Amino acid sequence: MFDYLVRRMLIGAVTLLFITFLIYALIRQMPGDPVVALQAEQDPSRKVDPADYQRMRVSYGLDKPWPIGYAQWLGKLTTTLDLGRSFTHKKPVWALIRERAGPTLLLSLTSLFLGYVLSGPLGLYSVVRANKPDERVVSTLLYMLYSLPSFVAALGLLYVFYQRLEWLPLRGIVSDNYESLSWWGRVGDIAYHMVLPVTCYTYGGLAYYSRFIRANMMEVVRQDYIRTARAKGVHPLKVIVVHSFRNTMIPMVTQLGLTLPTLLSGSVILEQIFTWPGMGRLFFESIGTRDYPVIMGLTLIFSLLTLAGQLLADVLYALVDPRVSYS
Amino acid sequence: MTAASDSTPVVSPPRGYWSEVWRQFRKRRLALIALIYIVFLSGVALCAPMIAGTRPIVCKYKGQIYFPCLAYFNPRWEPGIFLKDKFRQVYPKNLKKKDPESWAVWPLVYQDPFRRIKKDEWPGQPENKFGMEGVPDKHNLMGTDQQGWDVFAQLVHGTTVALLVGFVSMGLAGLIGITVGALGGYFGGWVDMLTSRITEVVMCIPTLILILAMIAILEKTTIWHMMVIIGITSWTSIARLTRAEFLKLRESEFVTAARAIGVGEIRIMYRYILPNALAPILVPITFGIASAILIESGLSFLGVGPPPPNPSWGTLLNSGRTNLQMWWLILFPGMAIFLAVLAYNLIGEGLQEATDPRLKEAGR
Repeated sequence: MFDYLVRRMLIGAVTLLFITFLIYALIRQMPGDPVVALQAEQDPSRKVDPADYQRMRVSYGLDKPWPIGYAQWLGKLTTTLDLGRSFTHKKPVWALIRERAGPTLLLSLTSLFLGYVLSGPLGLYSVVRANKPDERVVSTLLYMLYSLPSFVAALGLLYVFYQRLEWLPLRGIVSDNYESLSWWGRVGDIAYHMVLPVTCYTYGGLAYYSRFIRANMMEVVRQDYIRTARAKGVHPLKVIVVHSFRNTMIPMVTQLGLTLPTLLSGSVILEQIFTWPGMGRLFFESIGTRDYPVIMGLTLIFSLLTLAGQLLADVLYALVDPRVSYS
Repeated sequence: MTAASDSTPVVSPPRGYWSEVWRQFRKRRLALIALIYIVFLSGVALCAPMIAGTRPIVCKYKGQIYFPCLAYFNPRWEPGIFLKDKFRQVYPKNLKKKDPESWAVWPLVYQDPFRRIKKDEWPGQPENKFGMEGVPDKHNLMGTDQQGWDVFAQLVHGTTVALLVGFVSMGLAGLIGITVGALGGYFGGWVDMLTSRITEVVMCIPTLILILAMIAILEKTTIWHMMVIIGITSWTSIARLTRAEFLKLRESEFVTAARAIGVGEIRIMYRYILPNALAPILVPITFGIASAILIESGLSFLGVGPPPPNPSWGTLLNSGRTNLQMWWLILFPGMAIFLAVLAYNLIGEGLQEATDPRLKEAGR
């Protein structure tokens, strides 16, 4: 197991090197640079003074060819774990990421929790009532939800709950009067802003997980030991919950590993629609402003989490299923 | 059929692999309905200029027969004579005025996806309303957008984009994925090591940054660039499945037999193994079409797709985002995207169940 872990991590490190190199090469080929993008944002009518432009390029380290830029980035990262400073936000990339990770985690952890908690009973229900008319209706609805793009759902919900009923806010994470609120008032305000984004975040996962549980359980239910349990008179509900559901948890646990990267990367489209100050939005903005250090930092974190998630899934798989081993 | 096999008495001809898959697939009513819906959409895409347009399908002008509606597929196909005679895309009046002898067959709905219909252009049809006024009515079946362009016409013409994105990008992804997976699975050893690593690297790259960076590099993006970019970023699941199938099949007896009689490696791969592995490989390809449509409409929705005029469903939905009170800009394109994605997912699922009788991977 130890050998396996070491080997996987070495391969992972090489993979990371490849990915960051590729992305760095790509983003440096994008036309325009942060100096021009910054200028265009502040005052499009003003022309950049060539001397100023040159000085800024030097201060950003853009005057050298990109392979050297990559080597510098990598050197800084490996020696001091420094991801550099954001061009547009004028602060260290790490600080920026810490700032933006909160709102994203708030959404993704809430929706992960809701998804897992709600999909269990839904999955159990669809196994118990398998192929009865009511189960068919529920499963079909869940399947349709699974295919409904989140941005379509977001717009539909905004139309109903913001435009028509005026119950929920259009965008943002807090109201304008946030500062003047009491502590509980602030919590309530954030929760109020979270309703729509969390709904859009959750329903797809909910549909996916409950289908996943159902599919796995339908397979488990056909096993001999379930028949034995039924034959010796175990209560039908106990057969489902204790004997079958616990075995269904094995693939569910490995799923947890694969959701790891999405927890932090968030959803670009949803954060964009709801103007949610999270990681996905930061990512999208930084590409527009050619903020190379931020793009690279986020790329590194996202691919690191993807690799770690895959490894975690494999390790968890070996832990919960004694038949699997990597030695 | 040779004479020898003709003379052998056949009680019931053995079903081929594909007809067995089709028989299984046909049993699933929803999957079949979804397939019919996609065929219907393809029909709409092919006939888009005949359903909604302002150019005649066929017309006779100054003694010649023309098909001006084809210009919707490619602007260069607009017959030169209409440019010379200064029609300026307004056909009905000009045809009558410049040649009283002319006749024309018109599309079902006189509306244009790229411009606003003006007053007196078509008998009995008023000027297109715009903005908040553009609610659906009998002239604009699905309303109009802010500029007064007909939503129905844009949706119909957008079908071509959505379907093409699915087919072209997944065709490319299938080509790359099958080649990479087949090489790794068949040869094993260092080839497998190499292809597996490449697949892993591509899987770990955040797809969005890859797509956005490539779009930025291209500067002038067209819908074709989008298809290629989506294709070269979404082949990994196909490669993995192909590899697994090839690993399994290369040990089978018919491959050993083929090798024994001296069939070449490439020929074994593409003529012997691939046909037997193709049906399960079609499953991730079908799901891939659904996600390609989703990616394209999502990118157009974010405004990073090709510049206008781009009759994509996502672009239309984007204009609904900034004008939430115009519900018809959300409902109709949203439904179009949803139904197309749903249909491909249902077909994919049907295929999965038809090719895997044990339903083993149904949930994964």
